Amino acid sequence: MTWTIIILLAVGVASLRLLGMYGGTALVRRVPMFERLGSLIPAAVVSAVIAQLTFASGKSLTIDARSAGVAVAAVLIWRRAPIIVVILAAAATTALLRL
Amino acid sequence: MSETSTSARPEWGTLIGIGLTFFAIGVTVNVLVYEHVGSAVKTIAAAGIVLSATSELAYVAVRDVGGSLLAALIAGWVVASRFGLLAASLGTRIQVGHLQRSCAALNCLDPNVGVAMQQSTPKGVITAFWWVTGALHLGWWCGTFTGVFLGNIIGDTNRLGLDAVFPALLLAIIANLLRQKPGLVAALVGGGLCAALLPIAPAGTPIILSLTGAVVALKVREPKVAPS
Repeated sequence: MTWTIIILLAVGVASLRLLGMYGGTALVRRVPMFERLGSLIPAAVVSAVIAQLTFASGKSLTIDARSAGVAVAAVLIWRRAPIIVVILAAAATTALLRL
Repeated sequence: MSETSTSARPEWGTLIGIGLTFFAIGVTVNVLVYEHVGSAVKTIAAAGIVLSATSELAYVAVRDVGGSLLAALIAGWVVASRFGLLAASLGTRIQVGHLQRSCAALNCLDPNVGVAMQQSTPKGVITAFWWVTGALHLGWWCGTFTGVFLGNIIGDTNRLGLDAVFPALLLAIIANLLRQKPGLVAALVGGGLCAALLPIAPAGTPIILSLTGAVVALKVREPKVAPS
């Protein structure tokens, strides 16, 4: 990774963030339906990230120790456990299953 | 994510959890990036100015399997496009000047927008956003330096189960959204579509297409609140 690549990657990522904040927000404010859409975006996009981080192994899907760790986290979240307990339990479950 | 009774600052337990998670991510990602880059200065610079673990990972992953520079860059950008969507969502809920708005945009990540969007007032949204941003930066930077300088001692971070920490944190953050029908539908459709497309779609695009979940959830009526 050269300095040019680091800068290109950073400029691209920053531009997307700024485009969303200014262009995306303007669009959402102009079209009333988009306002409710905007409030639903975090649930949809963050869930997609969770799915990818939980089941992706390269280009394939897999159920492994990591998925089990996230499943334990899901149960604890449902039981309204504190966030620290949730992440420690997820890591511990995953690590134990890999022993 | 609950607010304290006196302010929009998230609970300390939430902030510590987010900080610890970003410490784990910082270690995990920067051990890999350092291995790929071979320079501590470049690894730390990339951690600071790109500020997207998934973009860096996408770039490294494409290069590691022999992909071209352009393909790797595009993968890194596409993966980061979700931050644009999250920034658009955040932008509708804050009332701040251009400088703070731009700084907020450049710091848009999944957890800070996720927590901020659950606050009820514009002031609450921006307050929660910056508290979470502070916590995740603290964790990220401590993790970055640990990963770069102690990575060879730590070894394989997956052995410690650290790869399960980030999805667990994100799930905890959106838990309140999942307890409402429209949020649950958006999450199930978005997450399900992403999982279904992962094996066949180019890197990063399943996450963008997960936006469909939000569109589908528009059709779901929110339950009427009974008058008190």
